[in-house]
Amino acid sequence: MLTGFCALLHKDLTLERRGGRVVIELCVLSLLVLVVLVVAYGPETGGRPESAAGALWVALILSGLPGASLAVAAEHENDCLTGLRLSPLEPATIYAAKVAAVALSMAVSQAATLLLLVLFFNLQFDLNLLRLIPILLLGTLGLCALSTLLGTITSRLRAGEMLLALLTAPLYVPELIAGVKASAAVLSGASLAAVVLPLKILAACDLLFVVCGYLLFEYLAG
Amino acid sequence: MTTALVEALSLSVMFGLRPVLTEVNLKLERGRAAVITGANGAGKSTLVHALCGLIGLSAGQARMFGQDIRRLRADDRRRVGVTLHRSMLYLNLTARENLEFYAKLNACQKPSEQAARWLERLGLGAVAEQRARDLSRGMEQRLALARAMIGEPELVLFDEPFASLDRQGAAVVGELIQELLARGGAALLTSHEPLTVKGAEPENYQLVSGRLLPAAAQPSRRTAWRWMLT
Repeated sequence: MLTGFCALLHKDLTLERRGGRVVIELCVLSLLVLVVLVVAYGPETGGRPESAAGALWVALILSGLPGASLAVAAEHENDCLTGLRLSPLEPATIYAAKVAAVALSMAVSQAATLLLLVLFFNLQFDLNLLRLIPILLLGTLGLCALSTLLGTITSRLRAGEMLLALLTAPLYVPELIAGVKASAAVLSGASLAAVVLPLKILAACDLLFVVCGYLLFEYLAG
Repeated sequence: MTTALVEALSLSVMFGLRPVLTEVNLKLERGRAAVITGANGAGKSTLVHALCGLIGLSAGQARMFGQDIRRLRADDRRRVGVTLHRSMLYLNLTARENLEFYAKLNACQKPSEQAARWLERLGLGAVAEQRARDLSRGMEQRLALARAMIGEPELVLFDEPFASLDRQGAAVVGELIQELLARGGAALLTSHEPLTVKGAEPENYQLVSGRLLPAAAQPSRRTAWRWMLT
């Protein structure tokens, strides 16, 4: 199982390194979102932690959805998903590897987004930013788990990307609210201990999405 | 009693309200080959998909190694090779990388060596570092055959294996089938033209309007594929 997982992850990362489609698209979308929001907020509200946290999570969700969609769509090219279904790999392993590959691509783009956020929102480059990392990692895992699962259905449809957004966004709302609250608090200087509740919500949603994906992928990919 | 490697029991498939396969019965044992011919749209590819468990059945059962295809264990899936119309190759990976990837999925020992061996075997050594996207249709078909065979499967389902292959490529496929049968495996081939399998007496079937019937007559030499005659 681990060999198959590693082979799939290595393959996805090789394809991404060669094409760079997901990371580049995610970075460009994040940049666009941040530019639009920083202009919309103006110089006064733009510097507030709440605005920065909101912008960060809008960038995360708007760039993350097409990222997952692209990663899943790559398996439909030349019917490669059928090749995987015919292989000895368990469907859950295929799902886990896809989530890991999307999460890694998204993590790279988020590092770039975080740097842009510091520049555009005039944030201090200090320990508060490091405290954002666990919050963002939990948010990313949940988004990847959910959008990879739903992307398996929508990538075969016309207007699949739009449908993916429509299906994912409502289910992701609890994580979105918890993530924005926790990020705003941390950027205001609060410690991680002060945002335990939002972190628990993020972790619980992650667990739910991952378990659902693990159990349902077999049926949705078929 | 020997267990059939692949078996269809009153297998029926409907797409919506349209019946595509009706009451198909088929049994393939070790060392045997079956050739299913039929016109375009007769249901040959659907039958291969149904036998592999890629599509749902409206009635009947598909079995491999004595187990229901829907409950086939991972270890048993490793014993099956399949080629379909689409090559299932990653177009942005090289020919070597594609084979290495599938060798790893099949838990082959030394995937790199296996990939190199199968590239040479299928005459793809010179294009090993070319991306699948840049291969000709015939080369892609050879690579797809190598992909199906790399796990040394006992049962191979070939859906139109000779499509796009030149004489040399078709001869290699013929050798692969012979070797497979010689080591106790089984092969199921579909084609829109009658085939003979050199060194074996395949069971010949015709798919007519979704029904599997014994072939009316053996193929004439005129219609048989070139590799079979050499």
